[in-house]
Amino acid sequence: MSRELTRLYRALAADTDPRALPDPDQVRRRADRRARNRATLGALTAAVLVAGTAVGARLVLAAGPDVPPGPPAATPTAGASTPPASGTPSPSRSAATPSRTPAAPRTSARPPATTPTSIPDRAFFALPAANDAGTGSQFVPGPVLPALCGATPGEAQVVTRRARTLAVKLAGAAADAVPDGSYRQSVTVYRAGRADDALRELSQAVRGCPEQPLADAPGVTVTQRLLDGARYGDESVLFETRTPYRDVNGAPTGGDEVHLIRAVRIGDVVTVLWEQGWEGTSTDRSQFEADSRRATEAVRRWLG
Amino acid sequence: MRDTNSFDDFYRSTSGRALRYGYAVAEDPGEAQDLVQEAYARAWRQWGTLTAHPAPEAWLRLVISRLATDRWRRLRGWRLAASRTGPPDDVGPPGEDSVLLVGALRQLPVRYRQALALHYLFDMPVAEIAREAGVPTGTVKSWLSRGRTRLAELLPGLATEELEVDDVA
Repeated sequence: MSRELTRLYRALAADTDPRALPDPDQVRRRADRRARNRATLGALTAAVLVAGTAVGARLVLAAGPDVPPGPPAATPTAGASTPPASGTPSPSRSAATPSRTPAAPRTSARPPATTPTSIPDRAFFALPAANDAGTGSQFVPGPVLPALCGATPGEAQVVTRRARTLAVKLAGAAADAVPDGSYRQSVTVYRAGRADDALRELSQAVRGCPEQPLADAPGVTVTQRLLDGARYGDESVLFETRTPYRDVNGAPTGGDEVHLIRAVRIGDVVTVLWEQGWEGTSTDRSQFEADSRRATEAVRRWLG
Repeated sequence: MRDTNSFDDFYRSTSGRALRYGYAVAEDPGEAQDLVQEAYARAWRQWGTLTAHPAPEAWLRLVISRLATDRWRRLRGWRLAASRTGPPDDVGPPGEDSVLLVGALRQLPVRYRQALALHYLFDMPVAEIAREAGVPTGTVKSWLSRGRTRLAELLPGLATEELEVDDVA
């Protein structure tokens, strides 16, 4: 078998050699063009968000109760797709929300008067240099939660929302290594007193969807379950998604790909941190906890 | 400042081997070209620091391996950004042996493919593969052994000799 394999690999090498790659200058030009396009896209995104601020804020302010949310409103700082450094915040575990009584009006921890109508970049946490994969934050549209059997928790009573995607690397990884994971992080402002409904709906949606087919892999299922864990903000929900590692044909190869998602409520604001991995990686728990703290603290500081 | 001459020299001297390796860990020749070009594009973006890397070719192979995971294929946005450049292939389809081997390799985890390619294409000893993959030598032996066992199952017509486990030690 070994000699046979050697022969097969030689055949593979012989088949590969006539296939030419482009000249190196073409590869260099393409890489540089992509880098320029990425920078242009970042600037364009910021410009669109700035232009959308006034329109979005007007729509949100004009909307009455129970009106579907307007488009995202935002006030990004000029040229900043990465928010300022956040230091090393520690979680606050002392502000647990008391359980509601049926007769009580719906209240979140903060008074309605402070409900913001736009979300600045500083509401999003900054990665420390050791974890910064150098990709910056991309504020792009897209889902802010994994699929949950068609449920849409937290989509009602939204005042405004922004979401970004960013890559992360683990401390100690080589500077030139590819990232170790990626986040989808959203910050959503709810109407006064309704943010706790969003977390309750999310818990129900996860409980109601223990298993579902994986969208792009026929025959493969993804499981969801709520997890215990440290509390963040006024209240928080943590859950995982789990799929078996598969080869390119979809056959299991052993082990699971696990991603963590945490929603944290701070007053009328909910931030969701959804770790999506990078090229098949699972979530690193300690990194995720540290970034959950950073996300919570960034929202706290923004709200003052 | 990135030095274009040193990058071009690196590219010309290593791209043939990189493409072989890409074919051994990817799904088909076209995808191998995608992966390898993407890896070199990443190398160029970091060429200022990569020139000081003790083994830039190993770094390149590591990037190719990671890009070859199915996760990357599902990230269509990133994939579109890395779409192939240059003229279409003007070479014929791969030979029967290559098709058989690559078809069987598709059934193996990327880590097994990586170890097998380094062993059979580059004649690398286990210790060197372990260093490149960042895992203990025992893990590499296990990958090679399991990979070959699996290939023997997938290529029954070729598995006429007994497995020689010792030659991966």
